[in-house]
Amino acid sequence: MISFAWLIPLFPLLSFLVLILSGKKLKTVSGYLASLLTGISFIFTLGVIADLRSVTEYEATWTWLTIGTTDIQAGVWLNPLNGLMLFIVSFVSLLVHIYSLGYMGENDRRATYFAYLGLFTFAMLGLVMSPNLIQFYMFWELVGLGSFLLIGFYLYKESAKRAARKAFIMTRIGDAGLLVGLILIFWQTGSLSFTEIFQAVEQNEFAPGMVTLTAILLFIGAVGKSGQFPLHTWLPDAMEGPTPVSALIHAATMVAAGVYLVAAAYPLFLASEWALMIVAVIGAFTAIFAATIGLVQDDLKRVLAYSTVSQLGYMMLALGAGGYVAGMFHLTTHAFFKALLFLAAGSVILALRKQNIKEIAGEGRHLAITKWGFLAGTLAISGFPLLSGSFSKEAIFAALLEDGQYGLLGVALLTAFLTSVYMFRLYFMVFHGKGADKPPKSVPVSMKIPVIILAALAVISGFFATGFADWLAAEQEYAVLHHSPTWLIFLATLLSLGGIVFAYFIYVRKQMDREEWKTTFSSTYTILYHKYFIDEFYQNTIIYSTRAISYLMYYTERYVVETIAAFAAGMVKEIGKTGSRLQNGRVQTYGTVALLGLAVIVLIFVVRGGYF
Amino acid sequence: MGLLSLFVFSPIVGLVLISLLSNNSSPKIVQRYALIGGFIPLIVSWIVYFIYQRNNRLAENFSWFSYETDSRTLVIDYELELNGFRLALLLLTTLIVTLSILASVKDIKKNPKLFYQWLFILELGMLGVFASDNMFLFFFFFELTLIPMFFLIGKWGHVEREETAYKYLIYNGLGSAVLLIAIVAVFIQAGNANFEAVKDYMSTMDDQAYQIGVIVAFLVAFGVKLPIVPLHSWMVNVHVYAPPAVVMIHAGVLLKIGAYGLLQFGAGMFPETFPLLAVTLAVLGLINLLYGAFLALIQDDLRKVFAYASVSHMGIILLGIAGMNTAGYQGAIFQTISHGLISALLFYLVGVLINRTSTTNLEKLGGLWTTAPVLSGFFLAAALAGLGLPGMSGFVSEFMAFLGVFENLPVFGAIGIIGIILTAVYFLRAILNISFGKRKGKALDKMTDLRNLELLPAGVLLAFIILIGVYPDSLGQLLQITLETFVAGMGG
Amino acid sequence: MSSVPAQGYLILALILFCIGLFGALTKRNTIIVLISIELMLNAVNLNLVAFSKYGINPNMTGQVFSLFSITIAAAEAAVGIAILLSLYRNRRTVHIDEMDTLKH
Repeated sequence: MISFAWLIPLFPLLSFLVLILSGKKLKTVSGYLASLLTGISFIFTLGVIADLRSVTEYEATWTWLTIGTTDIQAGVWLNPLNGLMLFIVSFVSLLVHIYSLGYMGENDRRATYFAYLGLFTFAMLGLVMSPNLIQFYMFWELVGLGSFLLIGFYLYKESAKRAARKAFIMTRIGDAGLLVGLILIFWQTGSLSFTEIFQAVEQNEFAPGMVTLTAILLFIGAVGKSGQFPLHTWLPDAMEGPTPVSALIHAATMVAAGVYLVAAAYPLFLASEWALMIVAVIGAFTAIFAATIGLVQDDLKRVLAYSTVSQLGYMMLALGAGGYVAGMFHLTTHAFFKALLFLAAGSVILALRKQNIKEIAGEGRHLAITKWGFLAGTLAISGFPLLSGSFSKEAIFAALLEDGQYGLLGVALLTAFLTSVYMFRLYFMVFHGKGADKPPKSVPVSMKIPVIILAALAVISGFFATGFADWLAAEQEYAVLHHSPTWLIFLATLLSLGGIVFAYFIYVRKQMDREEWKTTFSSTYTILYHKYFIDEFYQNTIIYSTRAISYLMYYTERYVVETIAAFAAGMVKEIGKTGSRLQNGRVQTYGTVALLGLAVIVLIFVVRGGYF
Repeated sequence: MGLLSLFVFSPIVGLVLISLLSNNSSPKIVQRYALIGGFIPLIVSWIVYFIYQRNNRLAENFSWFSYETDSRTLVIDYELELNGFRLALLLLTTLIVTLSILASVKDIKKNPKLFYQWLFILELGMLGVFASDNMFLFFFFFELTLIPMFFLIGKWGHVEREETAYKYLIYNGLGSAVLLIAIVAVFIQAGNANFEAVKDYMSTMDDQAYQIGVIVAFLVAFGVKLPIVPLHSWMVNVHVYAPPAVVMIHAGVLLKIGAYGLLQFGAGMFPETFPLLAVTLAVLGLINLLYGAFLALIQDDLRKVFAYASVSHMGIILLGIAGMNTAGYQGAIFQTISHGLISALLFYLVGVLINRTSTTNLEKLGGLWTTAPVLSGFFLAAALAGLGLPGMSGFVSEFMAFLGVFENLPVFGAIGIIGIILTAVYFLRAILNISFGKRKGKALDKMTDLRNLELLPAGVLLAFIILIGVYPDSLGQLLQITLETFVAGMGG
Repeated sequence: MSSVPAQGYLILALILFCIGLFGALTKRNTIIVLISIELMLNAVNLNLVAFSKYGINPNMTGQVFSLFSITIAAAEAAVGIAILLSLYRNRRTVHIDEMDTLKH
């Protein structure tokens, strides 16, 4: 099976090609076709994973490009980490395809939608199987393209257009870092293949300081893709896309690619204290930063988006603190419960046709399956004992403790508390309350099944922590699962439950008047509500200064370059005019000119004594 | 007469065919014959390609004239020779000319007979430029491209066509004057006009100041053509006011003469001295890259955006050359071909857009997808190719060019990366403005999408862009030998 | 009888030629221009004769040539004046600076 691994991404690609070329004719069956092809991919993935238990590593490459004496390869590379990502991607993608059958319903452009989904899935699968950084980078950009197309799917909306553009450009800033990083690595090691880079790291082939520099540059790429501070602002805006897309791309897979990048290039990071430190600090800061913003947002999907940003920060934090398994485990559980939350939210939005939680005001309570599904997800992300999130979060806390990062541990614990507060705020405001009593539109079955499957996984996947660690440990010796001391588990549980109770008293029992809160902490509230004014800050600094430079160039062009051009043209014109004065048709002028010419030649002849 | 000469002069068949038509035959018939005439060089170019692939060498040589002085004989022969780079450019030329004839079908209403006559002369000139192995022959064909272009712009262009044509002629005329002086200066020294012979002569010559002087002269001459900022203003005008079908050729092939010339005359003839100019080239490249990008950012006309995008993309060629290593040269060559394909595609689409809406103003357009989803899809694909999306040719060339620069001049590379970000910004701004959002502009209401035969040029160009992007070795293998000769002569 | 040296003839011819040249290039009246041209021709004739006597190989060829050139000059003057006459009939002017149709 494993030798057919290269086929896995090709099925979604086929789906993309077929649907984009003949989408109009296949409108009604487009969704089924795409789901079928993704399903085949998923089955192949399962087969490959089964093989991976015995093989543990597999590589097949072809020459893609020759530069001088260096061959750059393309191909597939499989190891436990890739296998895990393959599973997550193809699985969530399949569920999202099925969900979309209902969600996109009778949408006129659904063939295009499924084509884009296919393109994205292709790119994401290609990304996780990349044997080298250049192929990784290519697919990295292609997933960005998929994300861009799907965010802008409702292309008549101005906001969607802006969001798509913002997403593409913000991530490209990160990508530029990644590109520079990989080019520097190439000149250090003469290769871009992961395995050869790791060998070079082991044998200290890097120039001094280059390990840190390249690791940080790669991390900049991850920051852009995973919505880490300061390149996070595109991710909440990306919620303009259809909700299943948010579940697939902006929760479970693409945004986790940044985390995956750090994990895939982990030996490089391990070789540099500084790089790890930066990863951890950025991760921790993003985690708490996004969580505080999540506390006050009113848009259902935006709260989830900020929660995603925050959880991705957690994963980075874990990786930065040496918690390789913890980070990847959180990535896995997060993929399940965040996809679940988004899909459930999608059902709410489709049924109620609104997504402002103040307007929803509890109307969601009529949607039974959705409600229970959302609750499972909320409990999981809040770290409720025995649900998946609690296991992965504790692994992260344990890794931090092991690493001796007590300050960051404090931040992480505080974030855990905030997480359960804002997630339960969301849950209570959507599913508890006295909103309109009319039963909403029913949700199609195809949307319920993925929710149920993911809810089950969100509940139980935590119990596989040990098996998970063993799986990853097959190849990498740094894959160690840290275990928390009892007091830490107790503290984490306490914080998680405390958050739930806190939210319950405010949003259900209304013990405290929310308006009163707003006035007491009005400045804090304003800052949080406006997301720390980061967007405005970028607008007023980077965007304005870029435009200022543009206008500077514009005036240079207009006055300096055009003047040169006018001068050149004018000079030619003047010479022409002077010349044409000789061509006035009067024999005498011609004669004079001829005479002068003769005189000059004679003069030269006399002075030089020859022709030259 | 050998195969190569037959190939270079094959546009004459089209020229004769068109000339035989009576003056008042309908445009449709003229176009049909023009298309036949365009296909002949296209077919011959592929025959040449396969023969070259088999023999790995294709050359022709007649003695043309020689000139005796007291001490030696100065020789100018009629020499044509192929290498991978030239072959790639020749294939590009025949392809784009054919597609441009297809594109001109709706565009050229006034006196089509004369239009195609000039077009074939232009093609003859371009083929000659890329096939000649001799400085004077090169110059001869180079001049031959100037005149048809002048008339094509001046007679069939838009609004400010005459002014543009004169600007074009003045700039390029000055450029060729410098080129001729430099060629003569080299010729007098070396006594031979053949590239290879000059290279051999120069490698035995110690006068570095002289060599640098000549290279700078070549840089100026081809800098006009490429163009290098601040010699670019004619080119922006041509992009905006020439008919789109002609801009396809102009941006697709003619600008490439600048890049080709710089590589052939600089790296090809002075492999030892040329690297001394690395920093100069890198600075010029950066200026081009960023200057073009920043200006493209605020233009409100689609054609101007693409024109400055071309300026910016030429910066990448310069940066790649400045790398002075295999990766950099390969990047520059790839960028040459890739930009030819991409800008031809962009201007083909612009031509279609103008044909339907008669405007390219960004303020006046919007929501193109509602009535023309295929057209806006192609626009998006072309823009993505332009901004260097992996899987398309632009990425491969940018990657290699930067790879090359980073080996020796990492600081310049790092600054250049900003250009890559800006490229994404201006391309997306322009394309999303016209294709996304609500429908704007009355012309769009009744607009028809790309249909039938109109899909062909866009499809073919996009197919080549993707082919090079997905499997760059398809082009890379062709270039190996050329690159080796460029790099081999370098001393360290 | 002391003979005039060759330089004398040549200088006289030079002066005559320069006067003729000056007249041909500056005068407005076409008749004067034609006369000036005759003057230059005669300067040349003078040179021919002078060299036929004082040249390296003195012989008669020079004098014969000068006879030829005088004949041709006469013919040329006749043709020139004929053209001038027909021009005058058409344009009513003999001023050379008004005859600039050469540039068209």
